[in-house]
Amino acid sequence: MRSVVLTKGVPDFREGQVSFDEDGHLERGKTPTVMNPNDKYALRAALQTKVRNGGQVSLMSMGPPGYMEVLQEGMNDVYADDLYLLSDREMGAADTWATAMTAATGIHQLDEQPDLVFAGFKTADGETGHTGPQTDWCLDMPLITHVISLDVDEDEGVVRAKRLVEAEADEIETVEAPMPAFIVTDPEFEPTYYKASHRLKHKDLRDTTAERADEFGEYIADGSDLDPTDWDRFTMWNHVDLNLDPDYIGLDGSPTIVAGVDPIPKAPSEREATEIDPDDDSDMEQVVEELTPYAAGD
Amino acid sequence: MVDIDPTELEIAELGPKIKDVDDPDELREMLELEEGGEDRVPVKTLIEDRIEKLEAEDEEVDASSADLDDMTVADIANLVRDIDDVDVLEDMLEREEAGQDRKTAKSQIEDRIESIQGSGDDGEGEELEYVPPEEKHPDLDHPTADKQWVEGLDGGEYRDMWVYCETQHGELIDVSREMLGKARELMDQYNEDYDEEEKVVAVLIGDDVADLTDEVASYGADQILYHEDERLERFNHKSYTEVFVDMARAGGQLAADGNEDVDWKEYDEPRYTVFPATNNGRDLSALVQGELDSGLASDCSGLYIENAMISNPAKTGVPGDSKEFERILHMKRPDFSGFEYSTILCIDKPFRDFHPQGASVIPGSFEIPEAEEEGEAEVVEHDMDLTDEWLEVEVTDYDVLDSGIDLTGHDVVVAMGRGIGSSPTEGIELGLDLVEAFDDAAFGLSRGVITSSYSFEGHVEQYIGEDRQIGESGQVVEPDVYIAAGISGAIQHKVGMDESDTIIAINTDADADIRDFSDYYIQGDLFEVLPKLISAVEEGELATAVAEASDD
Repeated sequence: MRSVVLTKGVPDFREGQVSFDEDGHLERGKTPTVMNPNDKYALRAALQTKVRNGGQVSLMSMGPPGYMEVLQEGMNDVYADDLYLLSDREMGAADTWATAMTAATGIHQLDEQPDLVFAGFKTADGETGHTGPQTDWCLDMPLITHVISLDVDEDEGVVRAKRLVEAEADEIETVEAPMPAFIVTDPEFEPTYYKASHRLKHKDLRDTTAERADEFGEYIADGSDLDPTDWDRFTMWNHVDLNLDPDYIGLDGSPTIVAGVDPIPKAPSEREATEIDPDDDSDMEQVVEELTPYAAGD
Repeated sequence: MVDIDPTELEIAELGPKIKDVDDPDELREMLELEEGGEDRVPVKTLIEDRIEKLEAEDEEVDASSADLDDMTVADIANLVRDIDDVDVLEDMLEREEAGQDRKTAKSQIEDRIESIQGSGDDGEGEELEYVPPEEKHPDLDHPTADKQWVEGLDGGEYRDMWVYCETQHGELIDVSREMLGKARELMDQYNEDYDEEEKVVAVLIGDDVADLTDEVASYGADQILYHEDERLERFNHKSYTEVFVDMARAGGQLAADGNEDVDWKEYDEPRYTVFPATNNGRDLSALVQGELDSGLASDCSGLYIENAMISNPAKTGVPGDSKEFERILHMKRPDFSGFEYSTILCIDKPFRDFHPQGASVIPGSFEIPEAEEEGEAEVVEHDMDLTDEWLEVEVTDYDVLDSGIDLTGHDVVVAMGRGIGSSPTEGIELGLDLVEAFDDAAFGLSRGVITSSYSFEGHVEQYIGEDRQIGESGQVVEPDVYIAAGISGAIQHKVGMDESDTIIAINTDADADIRDFSDYYIQGDLFEVLPKLISAVEEGELATAVAEASDD
């Protein structure tokens, strides 16, 4: 089994320090970068596959060299065997279609083509939910999105999954597809480890990959003399390595642009609020009068 | 008489004032006055400079009568640079031909005419030269344009707004109706603004969808394309995309074999496409737009069409230039968990069209239109063979989940916001207790509570989820009484509750936005206010004595 997990670094919105330049592009330099929270479900799905079916897991991202830290974080989480970063100034400010082309090319560039590609649902910054499906479109693999549970049957060469269909009525579909296949996990994804041997394997993997992630940490630490690309489990590719025409990637290759970012407008005043002091009984009496007609009957 | 008598002023005072004098004759009078007075040389220089400057300006403005025979070619080149009026330039050209007829002078004037006409002509004038990728990027040996996933157009013809009408269990879902209504409104305005007759085209794909065409027509579609196949009873990414794209390309430059000429469509691809931002609709939108080599904005809550002035060189092809792009679908979407609205545009670039301009729409963003009984539409059945490979992903089973939590139709709704932050579990407990005290109440949440990473204890955790969200991307409620505890009142929340009869807000902040759409604004801490309300509703009256006793 060979799996690839796509991940993205996103601004850490918990810090609440998001800032934009005048063109409406996010100023990433001013916001700490973390792994996209939804990608963790893709990582868990890949990890489950590795624990249950074995094989190699590669983690791939597109972004500035700073994303090496995101990959290191992911290596710890998914117990990845190797890391790939597609990084080039020409790839910057890409929308989903330009990103999909780049990611698909990165996957094509791998020596051994994957049996499964995993991606998360929306990113915390773009929130489109498009990059996974569009990358799949470039790779032309069977696509299963909104996956909440996964079972890989290597003997038959198929994946079976449950997927969430949210529309007017919510449904859970059971689907089956031949491998290689592309899996987009839903935030509701739950891994299952039903055998004791799985749990042992899990622990074993955790220890070895934690060591690996620490090793990579020495390469990317501030002030380190080591060149991360010398580490044998890390590969960085630019647009020339990938044979990607700059007109088709990054800002230049993006059909869409952000024309403006506006604060959410304040709701116009439509009601005249009666001010109530909670410690003033006659004030509170007015509110209680509104409520008592709806009180539960005895 | 002059306004300014230089003999009465120091030179330092005269300097700034003289700039307001624009009449050379008046300046000459001033000069005479000075000569008749102190005759200060610096003052005279100041006035003379001003006269010279004004007369030079006059000369420039008067290109229409300038004597070209007196001018060098360099003078002419300088002169034409400031003229934007083609008639004036053509007149100059004639005069030059009648006079010295210098080739170099004429080419200066002709170049200027060409550049004005070019840039006025929808920006097509600035001749960008197409450079094939092989030449442009000799270091790459495999141009991306050749990869299988890019089959776009350059200078294609685009018309109409296409609406993908999602169905479930043989029925249209509401967002399909909402999109049809919005599309009708947008295209009516579009046709008026641009003097066009472009259509709203509805697309139906699935099993037994032909039965829905009357209903779709009643919501204002001009043309309905449907594709029926029992194998498409459930959504299937690959085949739905292939069917939609086959329709979109029919009759155009990239039409599939046998589809080059259809009697229902005469353009290359749709101008606009709109999809529902449901799980399947959003996926379909991304795949269709990718296959058509174009872009889209997802989860939009606002759409409008107007021209857009763009300076982004990736789109204009020329750094520093602005160019007006016409008929651009402006797609507004709440971003970053509702902190901002972004407006996304999908815009062609030189030598590569990005059409259709696509969007997916959040369910509930637009009104369901009134159905018109007379709705008439051209109905077209689309025919296409599905390849087995497209159906590789097979749905072997499905379960319909409980419709979840319905917050609508209750007397009272109690909703909790981030004001519970100091003690989230206790906050939820209080809200639930208040719900219990009513005969028929529902328990809701603001988006803030769902997206915050509060840790709740097990017994209340089941009440935290998107199925209880009130607002733009959640449920819309209109109970008799709406109690908003610790909710600041973002506009997305407002749209989910402002039709309630009576709105009671509890907030520690004296100026929370929600104050503007509340009937009662209890300025206080929900952890203190809710217990009072709970016991008052339970007892049928405010527990005055208890409250006072506890204060002692």
